[in-house]
Amino acid sequence: MEAVSGWWDDFFWGSVVVLQVFITSLIMMVLFGLIGAAAKLSNNRVAQKLAGAYTVIFRGTPEILVLLLIYFGSAIFLTSVAQSFDPSTKFVDIPPFWAGAFAIALIVGSYATETFRGAFLGVDPGQIEAARALGISSLQTFIYVQIPEMWRLALPAFGNHMLSLIKDTALISIIGLNETLFVAEQATGTTGKPFTMYIVVGCIYLAFSTVITLTVMALEKYSNRHLERAR
Amino acid sequence: MSFDLSLIVESIPKMLMGIGLTMQLLFISAALGLALAIILLLMRISGKWYLAWPSLTYIYIFRGTPILVQIFIIYHGLPQFEFIRESILWPILREPYGCAIVALSLNTGAYVSEILRGGVLGVDRGLKEAGAALGLSVRQRFVYITTPIAIRLAIPAYSNDIVSLMKSTALASTITLLDMMGIARTIVAETYAPYEVFISLAVIYMILTLFIQKGFGLFEKRMSRYVKQ
Repeated sequence: MEAVSGWWDDFFWGSVVVLQVFITSLIMMVLFGLIGAAAKLSNNRVAQKLAGAYTVIFRGTPEILVLLLIYFGSAIFLTSVAQSFDPSTKFVDIPPFWAGAFAIALIVGSYATETFRGAFLGVDPGQIEAARALGISSLQTFIYVQIPEMWRLALPAFGNHMLSLIKDTALISIIGLNETLFVAEQATGTTGKPFTMYIVVGCIYLAFSTVITLTVMALEKYSNRHLERAR
Repeated sequence: MSFDLSLIVESIPKMLMGIGLTMQLLFISAALGLALAIILLLMRISGKWYLAWPSLTYIYIFRGTPILVQIFIIYHGLPQFEFIRESILWPILREPYGCAIVALSLNTGAYVSEILRGGVLGVDRGLKEAGAALGLSVRQRFVYITTPIAIRLAIPAYSNDIVSLMKSTALASTITLLDMMGIARTIVAETYAPYEVFISLAVIYMILTLFIQKGFGLFEKRMSRYVKQ
């Protein structure tokens, strides 16, 4: 374990990066999921088809492929755009942080689309009709009636999506994000102790997963408290 | 910046050379993972704490860490130890192919075990009670009542897990294996044409996903044939 001693601060900052990517992609993932679910539930046939294609594409291709496509694809595109302005430009890319967070949010968002769709369908139509009858606008119904009722239904599956998200951050080290797995690779290079270093990474991820699992359990308890009392 | 059609025509056959490796990784890991999952499940529902606890810990660890980290620990990490390099497992763990299969099997085993457990828990208690009333032993009830119904209940989730496993095989490219993903990355490194190569590969993976889903859909239909006529 003494091999790790000089690397604790690097692992700490690596974990901070993991956390930053996680939070950024979580926000995007919720957005993609809500938009996708809204499109699937809408009456617009084009929106339905687009959302359907979105879920099929991103649930059917490997995460690493989506990540590399977005990172290198955007880099090629941006470089060619930049070269048309200034021919001396060599290489322009989106920072791995943003390319990576966007990629994993897109992937997990496609799963979240299905979860949110199911949760919205699970909201009792009577509740929406009651809101309409009270003269509440459809936007207000969405925010004050549908969202508070659906998130309770979506929570168990949503917890799994958060776990996928935190685990997928490890992939972003492939495109050079300096998160824990990347730190471990560097540390291995100098210390020659790969097992020790990668086990540290495993423990960090296990800690993150544990915190997420416990949080989701607490949230589930909180969101079902009205059922608890009724019993 | 243009979309080169001839490059797609050229690269698809090259990438398809790797489909054999992708399929090997998928099928061997799925089979080994299923065997492991059944062992873990039996340990977990055995009702004996010294069997249930190791199984729970195993599932917790392998579901709580990224598969990429597990692959790296097995491929890069294990050779750190002298005793691993001298053990009989070394011929397997020396090769990236063996490491990928070991990592994928260990990982999928943890997930599938939870899926199977969901299936076993979903079996109606009344059916088991009926079996007991008819004088079937505990073992007979498990083999002839619980197992067939649990398999049917677990198929949809299991199908999703096989799709995830297929997607995870692409990570074998990170430890130098030339599966479809590995070949695609080589082509992109040579031609620097990520759009053409990666998008055509994405289509190949999507077709495979479709086949897996359709296949399991048929299997589920067959297993459910007694439900409604």
